[in-house]
Amino acid sequence: MTVMRNAREVVGQPTPLIDGIEKVTGQAKYTADLPSSGALVGRILRSPFSHARILAIDTSAARALPGVRAVVTGDDCAFTYGVLPIAMNEYPLAREVVRYRGEPLAAVAAVDEATAAEAMRLIRLEVEELPAYYTAEAARAPDAVLLHANKPGNIERAVHHRFGDVEAGFAAADLVREQVYHCAEIAHGQMELNGALVEYDTARDQLTIWSTTQVPYYVHLMLSRCLAMDMSRIRVVKPFVGGGFGARVETLNFEIITALLARAAGGKVRLLLSREETFLTHRGRPDTEVRLKLGMTRAGRLTACACEVVQRGGAYAGYGIVTILYAGSLLHGLYDIPAIAYDGWRVYANLPPCGAMRGHGSVDVRFAFEALLDSMAEEAGLDPFTVRRQNLLSAPTETQNGLRVESYGLGECLDWAERASGWATRHGRLGPGRGLGMACSHYVSGAAKPIHWTGEPHAVVHLRLDFDGGITLLTGAADIGQGSSTVMAQAAAEVLGIRLDRVRVVAADSMLTPKDNGSYSSRVTFMVGNATIDAARALRAQLLAAAAEPLGAPIEAIECEHETFRRIGDDGPGLPFAEVARAALAREGGAITAKGSFTCPVEFQGGKHKGGAVGSTMGFSYAAQVVEAAVDIDTGMVTVEQVWVAQDCGFAINPLAVEGQIQGAVWMGMGQAIGEETRYERGLALHGSLLDYRVPTIVESPPIALHIVESIDPNGPFGAKEASEGALAGFLPALVNAIADAIGLRLDTLPVTPDRLLEALAVRRREQRLARELAREPAHEQQGAA
Amino acid sequence: MTQAAKQVRSFRLNGRAHDVLVADNVLLLDTLREALGLTGTKRGCDGGECGACTVLIDGTPRLACLTRTQECDGHSVETIEGLAENGRMSRLQRAFHERLGTQCGYCTPGMVMTAEGLLRRNPDPTEAEIRAALAGNICRCTGYVKIIEAVEDAARGAP
Amino acid sequence: MELLPPFHVATPATIAAAVAARQRQATGRFIAGGTDLMVNLRHGLGDPAALIDLRGIPELQHVTAGPDGLVIGAAVTLAELAEHPAVTSRYPAIAAAATAVGAPAHRAAGTVGGNLCLDTRCIFYNRSAWWREANGFCLKYKGDTCHVAPTGKRCHAAFSGDLAPALLVHAAEIDIAGPDGVRRQPLAALYAEDGAAHVRLAAGEFLVRVVVPADPWPAAYAKARARGAIDFPLAGVAVALRRRGSDVDGLRVALTGTNARPFLLEGTDGLLGTPVSPAWLDRLGRLVQKQVSPMRTTLLAAQYRRRVAAALAQRLAATLGGADAVGHAA
Repeated sequence: MTVMRNAREVVGQPTPLIDGIEKVTGQAKYTADLPSSGALVGRILRSPFSHARILAIDTSAARALPGVRAVVTGDDCAFTYGVLPIAMNEYPLAREVVRYRGEPLAAVAAVDEATAAEAMRLIRLEVEELPAYYTAEAARAPDAVLLHANKPGNIERAVHHRFGDVEAGFAAADLVREQVYHCAEIAHGQMELNGALVEYDTARDQLTIWSTTQVPYYVHLMLSRCLAMDMSRIRVVKPFVGGGFGARVETLNFEIITALLARAAGGKVRLLLSREETFLTHRGRPDTEVRLKLGMTRAGRLTACACEVVQRGGAYAGYGIVTILYAGSLLHGLYDIPAIAYDGWRVYANLPPCGAMRGHGSVDVRFAFEALLDSMAEEAGLDPFTVRRQNLLSAPTETQNGLRVESYGLGECLDWAERASGWATRHGRLGPGRGLGMACSHYVSGAAKPIHWTGEPHAVVHLRLDFDGGITLLTGAADIGQGSSTVMAQAAAEVLGIRLDRVRVVAADSMLTPKDNGSYSSRVTFMVGNATIDAARALRAQLLAAAAEPLGAPIEAIECEHETFRRIGDDGPGLPFAEVARAALAREGGAITAKGSFTCPVEFQGGKHKGGAVGSTMGFSYAAQVVEAAVDIDTGMVTVEQVWVAQDCGFAINPLAVEGQIQGAVWMGMGQAIGEETRYERGLALHGSLLDYRVPTIVESPPIALHIVESIDPNGPFGAKEASEGALAGFLPALVNAIADAIGLRLDTLPVTPDRLLEALAVRRREQRLARELAREPAHEQQGAA
Repeated sequence: MTQAAKQVRSFRLNGRAHDVLVADNVLLLDTLREALGLTGTKRGCDGGECGACTVLIDGTPRLACLTRTQECDGHSVETIEGLAENGRMSRLQRAFHERLGTQCGYCTPGMVMTAEGLLRRNPDPTEAEIRAALAGNICRCTGYVKIIEAVEDAARGAP
Repeated sequence: MELLPPFHVATPATIAAAVAARQRQATGRFIAGGTDLMVNLRHGLGDPAALIDLRGIPELQHVTAGPDGLVIGAAVTLAELAEHPAVTSRYPAIAAAATAVGAPAHRAAGTVGGNLCLDTRCIFYNRSAWWREANGFCLKYKGDTCHVAPTGKRCHAAFSGDLAPALLVHAAEIDIAGPDGVRRQPLAALYAEDGAAHVRLAAGEFLVRVVVPADPWPAAYAKARARGAIDFPLAGVAVALRRRGSDVDGLRVALTGTNARPFLLEGTDGLLGTPVSPAWLDRLGRLVQKQVSPMRTTLLAAQYRRRVAAALAQRLAATLGGADAVGHAA
């Protein structure tokens, strides 16, 4: 993208969210806040069984209950859904087999809560229970019953990728180390509970849904599929959405169920899930085991990497194939590694389905990588920063697996984090129980190849200028709190040379706004931002054309700044925006709609190997961070004292929001590192509340100092790349590295809960005692363990 | 299931007298949201876990999801909708907006009401006092950094 | 709308009226702040026809400090208790324990009586109705198996109030009102080691006040929890320690979160008459580890609760016992 001629007036300025006033005054309407008078109450009956063949679901008594308007079961929808066209294996309501405790079996719509609850009690289930598996290991056992008949070994996808000569790489290394790491499954814990409101117009066979989604278009697609309705009969509206973090990047069962109920009842149904049900809907980051082997030279150059990953994906496919591919493909793109071997297995188990979560696929592997690198640096007597600097990429370049790196600010990130944290004088010197650790991480700015390939552009934006001189920006992009609507408004205002508040954003209403694939993989700023610039340029061209005659100048000699059109270099009064807008409307025959679009060129869409599209992007963000932690070896408590993080986001269109995103990402990494985990008792979720799923409170949340690095990506809008995911993964290893600095204990399991830490300390004491005892015995071979 | 008998409960809501006909087993959260249409107060959990429903009762932050409407009889209830006078944002609302103490906004009403309760009691809180006061309000977006900054800003700024 | 059982609420203004109201309602429940009971009712744990709100009774409403000690009404909120000048100045362990409960909004509603009579907690009990039914219910409510110890006949749910240990180490007494009037007894006698019946109150009986003797020993409270707020204690420890010179002259240790009841550690007499030393702390730690019996009622490991209870007891005793012992690691 060429740099705008205008000085940056709007982009690059810290800008409060354009929809922030609604949020702080309580006026913002989330799904549960929408007017629902006359709406029926929807409720879902969930499976108490982990794995069972459904013999019968008797709903006759429930249907007969006065006040019940609809009851639906798997019999009412024979269509599968799923986000990946190649892996749609889930029914909105289970048919024939139920595969996890909490899976929807039936749903009711009734005149009030009490009637709905009573109707649920009247539904009778008859099942034949099947063996259930709660670990990847158990599900992969040779005699295990298959969750899905077409997936032998309960393997959803196995990936085997080889790039470069791995054996030669290890042979060339001075130090080769291998270690197994384990990360517990986690959940998004978005504050807004899941829910949907659906209005079905029987007379017209039209359906409108308001839902808690990040991907209105995918909801549209799946409703059309599962209800067998023409897409033009469906309208999807995204109201205010209270966070997502990946929980809502695919169509979810409750959305289809609410629609089925509304159609069956011939009216309006509101279905609001509890916190427990929101956890059961899940789609979180899977339980992951990483076996990692790295080779390094004496100087700290990486020579080879071999990585095996097993993810326990839950009962259905969801995004699983993408997750297991990301885990391998994002071993690339951060450092210059000559050879990488990756073997990944995505495994089915009788648990709620996993999905995409902030840092999708990359986080647990990055934890393993940066933790092992830290311990190898120590063993080699090298500073962790030195080791990273030994392995920097040089942009522009293409990785072994075909990913393009066009901008790369990691070096600058490292410099700042090292300086700001006082690393040189403080690392290793903070005394017992306190330490510093560091790590790097990266993430994509949007998946370069869309999941649903239609031949359309990857992003489309409309700008409309009408009689009032206001600019209406129409986008399908889903603002879920990350501030995408604000970024779009800024981009349009910047290009047009107008005030930010002249732009009003209408977002994510399928009746009004152009299609957008949704808010995932940090694609919106990059793709929709570029489409906005494209649309704004088109509109600007029409405005300049209208200004040319009155100004008596050719178009290319005119500019608009501060809403005034002038000849370039002329400091006269010029023409006010309103006047030019009127002239343009007259000239163009009324309201002007300018369309802009953006498509990632095919050369950015990844390697030619199978699965090569996953990980492909037009720009990677880069982050380096230092964590300072204190460890209480009596209580096992770890306190995160401070974080210093630098991120290369290309260019900060809204530095205020970029700061908020980076802080939020680092902090979410902290949650995974110190306390968050899902737990199951024979498949029953033990984490179904915010007491049991321990999202950190403000009390234990650290100050986060940050620095924005602007590498000005050649393809990003104004040079921007992603800002909200890249810094997350680095926190996890930086913390365990800080713990190692503090107490010399290298942990391989997350989260570092106080019980795990005390247990690890107890194990170390036993081992040290054993080592001492062995050392006292006569040495048979040589001098004992190192 | 038998229906509980309804009674008239009278309380001040955002400064104005209100009478509501309500059964004893109805939560304040449901009365506010469903009967009175004040949807600014949010439900984020299944009871006492997250702070999103925090309102002020007699000036003190309380959880509307654990409070029965009946308990409010004769008391004063303030919600997020009552903070902006004549449509002008309060100093806390302005600070949360301008400092990006809100991202998705879902915890924001509860967060702002808790902070409001703090500043009325303690107009010049330390950072530690801010953290202690907001300890029961979970935010999933911000990492709390800008929330603390917003409360500090509001405390320092002119009312 | 959240469905709650169709109870009605009584708001008696006298002790006698409260007792009578409860006697009229076989399934009635006393309630004050409701921070625990309302959550349980939302989860379908209980179906009372009436809630009898005790907060309107004047005798329950005040904290007074006098020559006979500290008198705390049962309906005093935890926030009021934590901020009361007599409490913060002379009974810092009680202030610390009250402040350790939940988060500010819980403490603004939750009361002293409620925290002392708090229901026990367990990962198999504090669940939705759907969850508990899917799990076959449990011994504590509607079921016949304790999932924590399936071969046993007793409920192992853990008492999780913070206040009790801080009051126990001050040898607090309580007044209990009931059909036969008001009686006084040691707080320790309120509790039984049975998660399904850990509070020894007959139907119609309720806590009126707590009486804490004057001239308290120096005391402190510490709580282990995963997060810095909101969480119930994984283990909570109060220690009161009086010294004569450098020797320990009096010692009481009380624990919460580890058993079905809060309890005073036994055998502390054997630790009297010597200064606090690393060896002394080892003995204290062993005493704690031996008497606590944490079970799998929390998501964090039971063994951790045993370890951390001992570590916290040692840390508090070291601090109260003199600087020379501080810094001892468990």
